[in-house]
Amino acid sequence: MGKKLEFLRGINIPGATYGVIVLLILFSLITNKFLTLANIFFIARSSSILLIASIGMTMVILVSQIDLSVGSVMSLSGVIAALCLQNGMGIPIAILLGIASGIVFGIINGIMVAVYKFDYWISTFATMGVGAGLALVFANGETIPIADEAFGWLGNGKLFGIYVIIYITIILVAIMMFVLGKTKFGYNIYSIGGSEQTALLSGIDVVKNRVYVYICSGLFASMAGLLLASMCNSASPIAGADYSFDAIAAVIIGGTSFDGGKGGLLGTVMGTLMLRILTSGLNLMGFSAIWQKAIIGVVIVAILVGDALNEKRKKKNDMRRTYAYEN
Amino acid sequence: MAGRDKLLDMKGITKRFPGTLALDSVDFEVREGEVHVLLGENGAGKSTLVKIIAGVYNRDEGEMYFDGKKVDFRNVREAQDAGINIIHQELNLLPERTIAQNIFVGREPMQKGLGRIDYKKMLRDSEELLKRLGLDMNPNTLVKNLSIAQQQMVEVAKALSNDIKLLIMDEPTSSLTKREIDKLFGIIENLKKSGISIIYISHRMDEIKRIGDRVTILRDGQYIDTLDAKTMDMDEAIAKMVGRKITKLYNRRYNKPGREVLRTEKLTGLRFRNVSINVREGEIVSLAGLVGAGRTEVAKALFGYDPIEGGEYYLFGKKVKNPSPKKCVRMGMALLPEDRKNEGLFLKMPIRDNIIAASLNKLFKNGIVQNNTATDTAEKYKKELKIATPNIYKLVGELSGGNQQKVVVGKWLSTDCKFFIFDEPTRGIDVGAKAEIYQLLDDLAANGAGILMISSEMNEVINLSDRVYVMREGEVVKELDRSEVSQEAILAYALAEGGSSNG
Repeated sequence: MGKKLEFLRGINIPGATYGVIVLLILFSLITNKFLTLANIFFIARSSSILLIASIGMTMVILVSQIDLSVGSVMSLSGVIAALCLQNGMGIPIAILLGIASGIVFGIINGIMVAVYKFDYWISTFATMGVGAGLALVFANGETIPIADEAFGWLGNGKLFGIYVIIYITIILVAIMMFVLGKTKFGYNIYSIGGSEQTALLSGIDVVKNRVYVYICSGLFASMAGLLLASMCNSASPIAGADYSFDAIAAVIIGGTSFDGGKGGLLGTVMGTLMLRILTSGLNLMGFSAIWQKAIIGVVIVAILVGDALNEKRKKKNDMRRTYAYEN
Repeated sequence: MAGRDKLLDMKGITKRFPGTLALDSVDFEVREGEVHVLLGENGAGKSTLVKIIAGVYNRDEGEMYFDGKKVDFRNVREAQDAGINIIHQELNLLPERTIAQNIFVGREPMQKGLGRIDYKKMLRDSEELLKRLGLDMNPNTLVKNLSIAQQQMVEVAKALSNDIKLLIMDEPTSSLTKREIDKLFGIIENLKKSGISIIYISHRMDEIKRIGDRVTILRDGQYIDTLDAKTMDMDEAIAKMVGRKITKLYNRRYNKPGREVLRTEKLTGLRFRNVSINVREGEIVSLAGLVGAGRTEVAKALFGYDPIEGGEYYLFGKKVKNPSPKKCVRMGMALLPEDRKNEGLFLKMPIRDNIIAASLNKLFKNGIVQNNTATDTAEKYKKELKIATPNIYKLVGELSGGNQQKVVVGKWLSTDCKFFIFDEPTRGIDVGAKAEIYQLLDDLAANGAGILMISSEMNEVINLSDRVYVMREGEVVKELDRSEVSQEAILAYALAEGGSSNG
């Protein structure tokens, strides 16, 4: 049995990978507009912003909590950066202040949830409201145009024929995969998610690590918000509104479980790709965008059903196997 | 032995929790290389005391010396660094992580530079540790795939992975089989030989003489006495522990059995097969056998919780088709699970609401919960079952194990159940409360209920049962009458040593 597991460890493929493959084949067969370079780039670009936002969400869900404020923070950081640029403060300040807004939200969430142990749904629901509200107030309810071309390069520019934003995403994901898989912080996240009690009794500082997780969530949300503003050459105060939903969906589809301590970033990468391939394919097939949310919801339900059936089968097999051993 | 140095010396330790004085100026010492047993009823303060030693709690008053130095552990890590490790009563493992990851959780070895964890070293060190404990396990196995006993051993390995001087074990054997306990005691002997001191908490009196050197008795948060384990008188120790003499632990009126409440015919499920047993009114019938023999599985299948793959069974003479817990409860059957806290009770709800939880349909025909009826029902069972509580609005999670078990019984009594399955009825319940639970079982039987009991405590099985079915590897291998029941007989059939299998 040990041998078998070791073998599985090496190629721990998230279930969503198969979903990605199936969708790729399906859409390629249905429409010849799908497997074009332009469309692949489109999918990669639209995946990247969601993926960056989902990095933080993965970490939060790994410790079996949630951050509903991700979308609001995205809107807010974009608006702040756009205002900075509008007022001639320069790109570094714009980026810095945008990211700072995310970190501040992360700290506030972390303090409420980890230090004061407020309910994480309610706490981040509240900061979601505050973030969305501040974005509207700062932007005066309007979309702020960004004229700075250098800022737009982050989201739209290319390097060696590939979009800059794709490099950024790959680098961030690679770093965080390393952090989650190979460092103490990452191990602690899995431990806390697996059993808070055990983590506590093993001498792990649960509060501190939880605060860090929320800071990461805010940080990645703000980066995603900046890149979204860059890509659009403008910052809408409601730009990020849908992203909390999509990020949670990507993480769940990727196999990270709300039970905590189970799953990881590779799954989230696949979950994000699956979502965006679905969106793009449906677009090309002529489904209007208004269908997408419902379809994503259906996909999640389908995954839940599949998981449940799988678990049931596994449980039955396990019991049978035990029985067989005993004889 | 008296000449050995003190490793741990605690003086005047006091700990208050909101509303209770958990420890009241307790003195406690542990010598180098001794097994020091902490004895006391639930709520006596044993767990609080060891949690203070291990840095989980901070004390309010008192002084603590460890290894000759005055210490003041602020958290678990500081105690670990000083060489103190604790194995808690509940397993504290991460099911989705490997054995190696669990052993080194929170203290993962690092590679040089980059802050990168050295998983290979974790594997190597774990393998060595497991080997030292005489365990044949692959450290790369996920913990969720291990048996409870194996998980317990991982806890031991986890504790030993530190450079320890003092190991605290809080009821380590409560979920182990006899063979596994022997193995654990072997390990404890070896640790002792290498100079490690052990604080051992257990409710099992027979274990104390076997491995203990000295025994300290606590009662109601106070230090009572320290005795020599080998020479102490058991009855005296128990008397000191409960503060009164328990006249008789088992007091069984054997009644003439009435009609059949349960009959199974060649019942087969996921981990048992061809089980044919019966229970009659007024009887306590035990399913005996080793952990893993399929006893709990039979109970869960009878209750409609696990699927049945063959055979049939009858409740009160009626054949049960497509069993489900709902149907079984309607027919008058109750299951009192081993894991009371998770499967038997709503810990965050008051006693009253727990007691009426299963009988809402019966009590409130029009679907509206009436306060008076609910309160009266709860008060009735509080009195009948002698639930020790100031009032019926206390949260069940705040009760002792014995009282929690009574609440579960009350919950079923209010549904008019006539057939009870007790799975490990006294697990985690202290001696004083055990006697009351035994009395309760006898009362139930005397009032005409049929009881099927699953217990790993041999004394319970021997002293309470009208009849005993011995199970081995999923099959009933022998039915023993009250006159034939003895520890030797049960073990002989359970282990298939000597006993002829009639299967």
